Order: sequence, then C-alpha cells, then structure tokens
Amino acid sequence: MDYCKGIWAARHFWWHLSISDLRSRWRRSFFGLFWSIIQPLGLTLLLSLVFSRIFGMRIAEYAPYILSGMIMWEYVVSSVIGGSLAFVQADAYIKQTRHPLAIYTLRNALTGLIVLATGSVALIGWVLIVMPQNFGWCWLAALTAFPILGLVAWAGATITAYIAARLRDLPHALGLIMQAMWFVSPIYFEPSTFRSGDLHALVDFNPIFHLLQIARSPLLHGQWPTVENYGWSIGTIVSLGAIAILVGRSSEKRVIFYL
Amino acid sequence: MTNTIRLRDVNLHYASVAFRERSLKSLVAGWLSQGRTKRDLSDIHALKDVSVRVDQGERIGLLGHNGAGKSSFLKMVAGLYPISSGSREVRGTVRSMLDLSLGFEPDATGRENILYRGLLLGLSPKAMRSMEAEIVEFADLGEFIDYPLKTYSVGMQVRLAFAVSTSISGDILLLDEVVGAGDARFMGKARSRIMNLVEQSEIMILASHDLTTVRQLCQRGLVLAEGRIVLDAPIEQAIKFYEKNFSG
Repeated sequence: MDYCKGIWAARHFWWHLSISDLRSRWRRSFFGLFWSIIQPLGLTLLLSLVFSRIFGMRIAEYAPYILSGMIMWEYVVSSVIGGSLAFVQADAYIKQTRHPLAIYTLRNALTGLIVLATGSVALIGWVLIVMPQNFGWCWLAALTAFPILGLVAWAGATITAYIAARLRDLPHALGLIMQAMWFVSPIYFEPSTFRSGDLHALVDFNPIFHLLQIARSPLLHGQWPTVENYGWSIGTIVSLGAIAILVGRSSEKRVIFYL
Repeated sequence: MTNTIRLRDVNLHYASVAFRERSLKSLVAGWLSQGRTKRDLSDIHALKDVSVRVDQGERIGLLGHNGAGKSSFLKMVAGLYPISSGSREVRGTVRSMLDLSLGFEPDATGRENILYRGLLLGLSPKAMRSMEAEIVEFADLGEFIDYPLKTYSVGMQVRLAFAVSTSISGDILLLDEVVGAGDARFMGKARSRIMNLVEQSEIMILASHDLTTVRQLCQRGLVLAEGRIVLDAPIEQAIKFYEKNFSG
C-alpha cells in the first residue's frame, strides 16, 4: 500500500517525464505527432499488399487486421525492450532520490500508450470508412484495451528492467524472444491460418491472441470480446504483476548497486 | 515533531554481485566453467557498526580520506543504500545534494529541466512554476535557459542543478562537497545561498575536505576511517585529530 502511495506521490514527476519523452520524440520533425500515424499506416499498406496476394484475402479488410496487430504488438515490444533499460537510463534519478522504482517503467509504458492512442486514430478511421457496419456500443469494449495493454506493458517492463539492471545484454536476447513470440501468434497472420495448420493451441491458449482480440472483436467484427478474452487478459496482468511485485520486493533496494 | 537521526550498529555492504556476472554471456560462461577456481571478489564492507545520534539543530562535519565512507554514510542516511544490519531511524524530510550534475533530460530545455528536477524532489508543478523565475535568475544562463540541455557545458549544467536543488529546503540537509560549483563569480553567490539553506535546515551533515568551511559551518565533527567512526567530538577537536592522524 505504501508503495502505491509513493507512486501516487510522484505522479507529477513520471507524468511530466512521459510528456517530455513524447515531446523529444516529436520535436524537430516536420510531421511531428503524425509520424505515429503515418509510420504504421505505410507499413501496413506494404504488408497487406503482399500478404493479401499470398493468402488471397480482400485487402480492405485484411489491412486493418494487420494495422491493429502492428500498433498493439509494437507497443508491447517497445515497452518490454525499451522498458528493460528504464532503470539504467534513470540511474541519475535513482541515485539521488528514493522514489518507487516502478515509476520509471511506468514512464515508458505511459509514453508508449499515448503513441498507441495516436496510432489507433488511423485504425479507427480506416474501419469507419471500410466497415461502417461494425460501429456500435461494443466499441466501448475496445477502449478497455488501453488500460489492459498498459498494465501488461508496465508489468512486463518492470520485470525486464530488474533483470536488465543486472544483466545488461538482456535487450538483445529479448529482441529474439519477442520475435519468436510474434511468429507463433496471430498478430499479422489470421487465426484461421493457424487453425488450418492444426495449431489451435497457438490461438486458444495464447494470451497475445486474447489481448489483441479485445480491440479486434469490436473494431473488425462488430462484436463484444468474449469472457474468455477478458479472462486471459486479466490473467496475464495478474501473473505478470505478481512476478513484478515478487522481483521488486526481493531486489528493489539493491538495484542502486547495479547501476 | 522534532527531527532526529538515530543510527544503531549500522553495517553497510556493497554486494559483490554488482561488479561480477554482468551479462547473460558471463552468466552462461560461469555455469559452463564451474569447478574452475576463480579469484572471488568479496562484498565490500563500507560502514562498520556505525552508531550515531543526531538531534535537532546540530551541524555535523564528516572528515576522512577518500574511501573512508563519507559518501556511503550520507547515502545511507538519505535512505538510498539499504543497510545490511542494525537500525536506521530518520525523522524529517531529507534533502540531499550528493551528485549535483546528474539527472537531466538532454533533449528538454533548461526551463523544462527546472520543472522536472523540482518534481523529482517532490514538489508540485504549481509550486515549481512560482519558483521558476527566481531559479532562472540565479542560474544566470541568459538565453541558454531556453536551449536543449545537451547544448550546455558541464559548468552550466552544474549551475542549473545547483540553482534548482538549493531553492528547495528540507529538515535534514546532506551535503557532499558541493560548495565548489561554477566560476569565481558564481562561487560567491553559491556560497551565500548554501549558507541560507543551512540556516533553514534543522540538521545539517557536511562531508568535505575543505577544513575552513567545515570549521565555519559545523559544531560537531565525525572522523571516519575505513568505514568506522573513530572520533565523535566537537569540531575543533575533530579537526585537530584528523590533521594529526590522517594528513601529512
């Protein structure tokens, strides 16, 4: 409880650091904020052109699938890999003051979440134009994807940040792991591709699928996400959160020695 | 509430793992080469059975060689380092000025960094905005205050850090050789500002090799050697002891 109070007490600090990250990300570039929209959009066009030929799907409907997968997955990857350096980058702050360390990974998760929100503008625009019939109350459920993904990213980044403080070459290894996870998950590939290859487990028991489904069901199919989707997502948050808390409890105080 | 610091048999160890086994690579290599004997780095025992009681209104000077444990002592009191045994009880808000030039966002402007540092020290954005003009004036960086911090020289960074850190007072002030910041003109200003801060604080602990400053500011002296407090006495006596045993 005291720990949460500490995070709340430092709220101005991490909030402004996040804003500062965004500012330096968008500063001195002509498109600024719009890069966060243009970049995934351009990549999506390219990928969907290729994939729709390969898999023989309609590009207008396949493209938003890729786009939704791309922006959400990018967010998780950048939080987990970028977040793994959170303590190392914040070493000057950590050595001077005693704030809960989780605020430094929260900073990363929050910055990414705002980038994700800007990226999703393109997705929503696209879906509204191509599949207007999907619009409805269930889109409210898509909003819950933000806090859910945010918590997953925060917990994941906290875990990797603790490990990376001690093992500095972790980000390279993480890149590999995340790529492997990408290959075995329905992120760019449709679940039907996996199912037709008799790989049902990679869909049904894959938390990544359920996480993405929370935004995809309403936006792409006009349906509410299932209880299963939420169950898996919340389960992921709880288990990652529990690991983060356990790791933090045992080594938070010692991190300063490793920096 | 009175501000006190109470330390009883405090021991501080720097964990040796911190300077070993720093990568996945070496970790794996370590597993593979088990059995082979390696020269073991042991934990560093930085503070040994330190017991001190500091009460409201005391001004303390820490004396000792480099590596005697002065900085470790201050960081331990500030709560940055975890103690390995004993008890540490600190009442009052601690304001520590230990590594001044650290902790800026290189891409943000000087003005923005004033805000961030103030927030780091636990102030609200509102309070910081009201103090900003005064800090800008004291740092005296001219138009550079609106430039990104990465364009600053080291001296300018120290000035900015100093200006922000010294504008916020606390009950317990911990200083580690920070009086020497910037050029001669700035030094004069800095000195009077530090004095002001010292007057506002209830407890002050200063680690310094500058014996004149220590004599001027402190009434009580602690002499540290190899992580132990070897003398706890009025400042004149402590300085004499230090000069006799440790210098020359």
